[in-house]
Amino acid sequence: MEYKDYYDIIGVEKTATADEIKKAYRKLARKYHPDLNKDKEAEEKFKEIGEANDVLSDPEKRAAYDELGQNYQAGQDFRPPPNWDQDFEFSGRPSGPNAQPEDFSDFFEDLFAKAQRQQHGTQQQGGHRQADFNAKGQDHHARIIIDLDDSFTGAKRQITLKVPEFAPDGHVQLKHRTLDVSIPKGVREGQNIRLKKQGAPGYGKGEPGDLFLEISFKPHKFYHAEGVDLYLDLPVTPWEAALGGKIKVPTPGGVVDLNIPANSKQGRKLRLKGRGIPAKVPGDLFVVLQIALPPANDEKAKEIYETMAKELDFNPRSHLGIGL
Amino acid sequence: MNNDVLNNQETLTLDDVCENCGLNKETIMTYVQEGLIEVSNDSSGHILFSQFHVVLIQKAIRLERDLRLNPAGSVLVLELTAQIDALKNKLKYFERQNQE
Repeated sequence: MEYKDYYDIIGVEKTATADEIKKAYRKLARKYHPDLNKDKEAEEKFKEIGEANDVLSDPEKRAAYDELGQNYQAGQDFRPPPNWDQDFEFSGRPSGPNAQPEDFSDFFEDLFAKAQRQQHGTQQQGGHRQADFNAKGQDHHARIIIDLDDSFTGAKRQITLKVPEFAPDGHVQLKHRTLDVSIPKGVREGQNIRLKKQGAPGYGKGEPGDLFLEISFKPHKFYHAEGVDLYLDLPVTPWEAALGGKIKVPTPGGVVDLNIPANSKQGRKLRLKGRGIPAKVPGDLFVVLQIALPPANDEKAKEIYETMAKELDFNPRSHLGIGL
Repeated sequence: MNNDVLNNQETLTLDDVCENCGLNKETIMTYVQEGLIEVSNDSSGHILFSQFHVVLIQKAIRLERDLRLNPAGSVLVLELTAQIDALKNKLKYFERQNQE
């Protein structure tokens, strides 16, 4: 088992006051809270600082930890002496607001959690025992990235999740877990798929928790999604934009005809109703016109541009107060 | 595998949500009053929740517990986080466009 340097984890000196520890912990907790920080390492880190804070914020545990750890450095092989805790008095309650000792490392477990459980056992003889307590297991959360097309048609996908677990030596290691998931038609970014009973095991006779998968889309070659709506940048020629007309547009459901009104400007947004992500009220596909200029590489093209320059009375900079 | 999407269809009663989150009715109604979730009423006037609402309430409760917030604070955090996510998405899109 490796020795954990809780002071280093929180980022304070060994001589830090309780206030300094509180302040440092709160800052890190905000930074790494898994609901706010979407990095894969955030959850692991959040658990680690929670464990460190649980020990350092409790004067009894901190004193015991200090006494024990005098000669150790982080990562060193660590073995607590037998009955090391016999002279310490533990109040036998989880101290932090988010103390969930089942999430903590073996290092913590060996030092503190067992002592607490033993005390509970003797205090509660004949009364409630752990086995009488039934509750639903914790829900687990993960994010998965799918193709936009999967949302259009629905799909079956095999996904692999990395689950941080504490190895016997106290290290956090990543375990791979493979699941078959049905991606339902019409799922959108930010929605959750629930896999029933795939979360943490229940307590006692309680049911396991659920696993929630939050959906993100892989960037698509053509489209990008905002809610149920899709956006497509569509290049058009200057004459298509100026004269209007019917052109063909790709949509995830197939090619459709789109009417371009005459005198359309660069960036004009045209709506194809119901061509977005499928739903009870399907989203729309917004086509954003991007006017592409033909290059003036040959004599013919140059001639046409020169004719336009001569024949058209057009000053795009008139609103800047500048003449041609 | 047994799974379903958590869409915005409001099919859960207040009792269902209590059971799902392990919370009492007052706590859940706090989030309705804070405006974290917009609920609708069924024909007999009962409030209905969607599963997406349940996920939001659970997030708010975790934030309150872990960061010592009150409901008004956690609702604000979740609203701001959603705004930041939307902006990041837009930014990513425009950055990709500029590279092309």
